[in-house]
Amino acid sequence: MPSNEDLAALLPRVALGDRAAFEGVYRATCAHLLGVAFRILNSRERAEEVLQEAFMNVWHGAGGFDASVAGPMTWLINVVRNKAIDALRSGRAERASTSAFDEEALAVAADAMQQPQALLERSLATLRIRDCLGDLGAPQRQALALAYYRGMVHTEIAETLGAPLGTVKTWVRRGLDRLKACLDAAGLRADSLA
Amino acid sequence: MNYLLPERLERLAREYALGTLAGSARRRFERVLRNAPAAAKAVGAWQERLSGLAGAVPPMQPGDSVWRGLEERLFASPRAARRGPLQWLSGVLSVRALGGALAGALLCVALLRFQPGLIGLEPQSDTLPQSYVGLLVDAAGVPTVLASSKRHGTVMTVKLLQPVAIPAGSVAQLWALPKDGSAAFPVGVVPGAGSASVALADTSEKLFFNVSRLAVSIEAAPAKAGGKPSGDFVLSGHCVKLW
Repeated sequence: MPSNEDLAALLPRVALGDRAAFEGVYRATCAHLLGVAFRILNSRERAEEVLQEAFMNVWHGAGGFDASVAGPMTWLINVVRNKAIDALRSGRAERASTSAFDEEALAVAADAMQQPQALLERSLATLRIRDCLGDLGAPQRQALALAYYRGMVHTEIAETLGAPLGTVKTWVRRGLDRLKACLDAAGLRADSLA
Repeated sequence: MNYLLPERLERLAREYALGTLAGSARRRFERVLRNAPAAAKAVGAWQERLSGLAGAVPPMQPGDSVWRGLEERLFASPRAARRGPLQWLSGVLSVRALGGALAGALLCVALLRFQPGLIGLEPQSDTLPQSYVGLLVDAAGVPTVLASSKRHGTVMTVKLLQPVAIPAGSVAQLWALPKDGSAAFPVGVVPGAGSASVALADTSEKLFFNVSRLAVSIEAAPAKAGGKPSGDFVLSGHCVKLW
């Protein structure tokens, strides 16, 4: 994982058209960012497409990076996450309209509950806020993990967890509130550990 | 709807950052984000909080094709050197910065001007002579130096496609970068504008056979054999075999 200081120095150079800086940003972050896209899309091919599209945006949009709004790694993660979420949802719309049998979707469903939760637990441990979030029930954590790592919307989480939509919305909101409170209490900028 | 009421903004910002804001509501909020710094700030704060959750995601090394595709889409083809001459020319012409037909004409004019044998001495052949050709671009991707030399010649012709600012007392030093990553070696000094013939230390074939890129740095004095670039390259580009 590259340091935010390195990336903060490279991104303004990318904005000026420095190709070496651009390659530096890519080499330093591509593996981590592909991992993020892959969790959401569950397909290496689609995740690599999204990674490429995201870096097209990075080249053309590095001037829009504002360190006072979010750190460089946070900015990059969100360029990739937003692309992956858009690709996921446009892919779902296509699949719904062609109603094709989709092994990929089944594989995601089979794995949907286990893996995101494990990732969430590991992240919370790294952030040293696992205990703080301990009083949050398992369903709240699951809902948060499915939204973040899988890019699921409330209705999909409700379906996956077999819970009413209103309940899921409350779980997600409480999960986020608790995350915020725990990070604030720990005095962490989450980005510094990303 | 007023998106900037604090409570509403906070709700939308966290749902947007998490991803649960979907469909047309997501698109509408993205438009708000572009124009409202307060909204961008609120989203940024949530993205910071959530980015800690990405820390545990196992990294996956992307295939080489992802970076190659980026280079091709953004900076033209890095594989041009492995293609035939006609594809190479079409690759050059596809460089966005070259701008279509005008650039094609420019390239042909430049090649014909500095390779008069093409139309004078070799009237029976439609093909360009076997040559090494480099097209160097500046940091913004604008073609700046066209360098060419015949395969077995000992002179490199350099043409400036746009002027290069060379500080007084400095020179623009042309370097050759071997494809195996070994140290760059000096080729000669290029002018800030116009064109020049650069005498080579050996034949092009001996010098450039294993060279994949050419680059220019600003130096206090012309580099000697064995010298190294003292700073960043201000221009660089692929060096390809035209046969």
